[in-house]
Amino acid sequence: MTLATIRDLRAHYATAERRYHALDGAELAVEPGRILGIVGESGCGKSTLASVLSLNPKPALRVDSGTMSIAGTEIDLADIESHRSLRGGTVALLPQGALGALNPTRRIGAAAHDILAAGPGRIKRSASAARTAARLEELDLPPRVLDAYPHQLSGGMRQRVVAALATLRDPRLLVADEPSSALDVSSQRLLMNLLRRLVDEELVEGIVLITHDVALLSELADRIAVMYAGRVVEQAPARTLVERPRHPYSKALFASVLVPEPGTRERRLDGIPGSPPDLRAREPGCAFAPRCAEATEQCRARRPALIETGPAAAACWLRDPAKEPADAR
Amino acid sequence: MAFLRHLLRKLGWYAAAFAAALGLNFFLPRMLPGNPVDTLVAASLGRGASSESKQRVYETYIHEFGLDQGLWEQFATYVGNVMRGDFGTSFSRYPADVSTMVADTLPWTILLQVPAVALGWIIGNLIGAVAAYRRGGFDRGVYLTSLFLSAAPYYCLAVLLLYGLAVALPLFPTGGGWSFGMRPEWSAAFAADALSHWFLPFLSLLLVFIGGQAIGMRSMAVYEIDADYVGFARSFDLPDRKIVAYIFRNGMLPQITGLALAIGTLVAGALLTEIVFSYPGIGTLLYDAILNKDYPVIQAVTLLVLIAVLAANFFVDVLYGLIDPRIRAAEKGER
Repeated sequence: MTLATIRDLRAHYATAERRYHALDGAELAVEPGRILGIVGESGCGKSTLASVLSLNPKPALRVDSGTMSIAGTEIDLADIESHRSLRGGTVALLPQGALGALNPTRRIGAAAHDILAAGPGRIKRSASAARTAARLEELDLPPRVLDAYPHQLSGGMRQRVVAALATLRDPRLLVADEPSSALDVSSQRLLMNLLRRLVDEELVEGIVLITHDVALLSELADRIAVMYAGRVVEQAPARTLVERPRHPYSKALFASVLVPEPGTRERRLDGIPGSPPDLRAREPGCAFAPRCAEATEQCRARRPALIETGPAAAACWLRDPAKEPADAR
Repeated sequence: MAFLRHLLRKLGWYAAAFAAALGLNFFLPRMLPGNPVDTLVAASLGRGASSESKQRVYETYIHEFGLDQGLWEQFATYVGNVMRGDFGTSFSRYPADVSTMVADTLPWTILLQVPAVALGWIIGNLIGAVAAYRRGGFDRGVYLTSLFLSAAPYYCLAVLLLYGLAVALPLFPTGGGWSFGMRPEWSAAFAADALSHWFLPFLSLLLVFIGGQAIGMRSMAVYEIDADYVGFARSFDLPDRKIVAYIFRNGMLPQITGLALAIGTLVAGALLTEIVFSYPGIGTLLYDAILNKDYPVIQAVTLLVLIAVLAANFFVDVLYGLIDPRIRAAEKGER
């Protein structure tokens, strides 16, 4: 039983002359009680994916197709506007950087009331204060936070306040968009613990964690999806993916970072040759083929589908389970 | 209370500024070339008078005005008198009392400036915020118009309006506070007449002020719309009016500082506007006083303007402390 399934998500940014295909048939599944990490280099579509999953796409983005089924509801992502009411209640966003996410001139209690009042039904100020205080307490924050302005809180408290607000309307799925990118190392650690806690204590049923920080992901995520050129090219349990990446891009990506582990004393770091794909042109074949050392004619001619093999899945002709024996790999 | 202490400290600064300005007010007019009594003597005796009688009148005036005393001695007398609320007598309209002259003109200026500033701030900020939120053609129109209005010097716009709405299209009188043959009194006829004279100078001040405020608010709001807290609020599907309120509340803060900064130039600009329309306010009074080197009147008016600017700044300071929780906290030493 999965919590959320995203199918065939296609979206583009349109300018006067050209279209940038930010998402090109992305597929995802989030399991309940799990953190799904999404990783990829800049421009792979992961932030666009976050904005679509949180049902809050940027104005310039057009979703062409795609569905998300979450907790029994089927959402047509091409028509996000009519599902606006699910924002905050079914899916919620944990924004990038807790510092700017809070309105500097509004007390936390008032901001929380605004959030609860935006949900279904009417709610009294006293009721929302009680509900907020309860959620704050679950995250070890004292009730006096309700009367505080953001600047009166420490960085770590603000982080937890943002998490409390994001989960205030008991969303099923939390989409965390680069939550750690503006943090120092010790705050990152706190954030990781916080995210793990949100799932473990069932404040949310699942988290999609979007980041370019491979080291953080490999520690925190249960599963990892690797994105390239608007598609998920590999999805597998975190351990499996880090230790034995199957897609050539995943391999290159994980080879380009150092994971702080005892074994990592000496290792050569390899970059990925070439540059990220041009999102304006859509090649008929695999988007990674131009940078892939192993690419064949077939890779350049036809696009591989994401094929599941057990708990893992990869979109690569060279890893096609039907072909692999013939390749004698 | 800490906030009170902060205000008291501010008051101390204002007192220092006041003392410094008092000195400038006294010495600067006296640096003007020429002598106020010369003009006065020439005017009062006409051409035929003997040089001896001229000399006598001259000395009488010099003595009467206290100009025969040393500069510092005069300054001490002046400060002493100001402290007692005595602004002396006018040179050019001797023996008119300066306090009465100011009291006669001040209400006209207040009636002109206060509504223009208050209304201009509100209208300007609303237009600016809406322009930023709506974007598109409305935004471009507002931006260009505001840019023109705020960049045009006060008197330029005043002259344009004067030409357009009083000369080319004679809808309003060309100047003065009321029509010939009227006398200031509490009557509907006079009020209507004064209002028609008031409207053009008011409009020219209002437009300039709206322009400046709209530009400021528009750029603040454009910046706030992209702020992270707006994105976070949107992710909960908060209603638009709530989000606009967030944006306005935060965008408004620098605008209040802008108001404090603008008040000085506004008062000065308004004086020019009065001169263009020969409006019977403080500006025209000051202009005539400078032409006649009427030191007591110049001193009284500049002192009044100074007090107005300081008071406005103090008011904004208090207001700012009340509106922005961060300023409040910094003042309490909570940060």
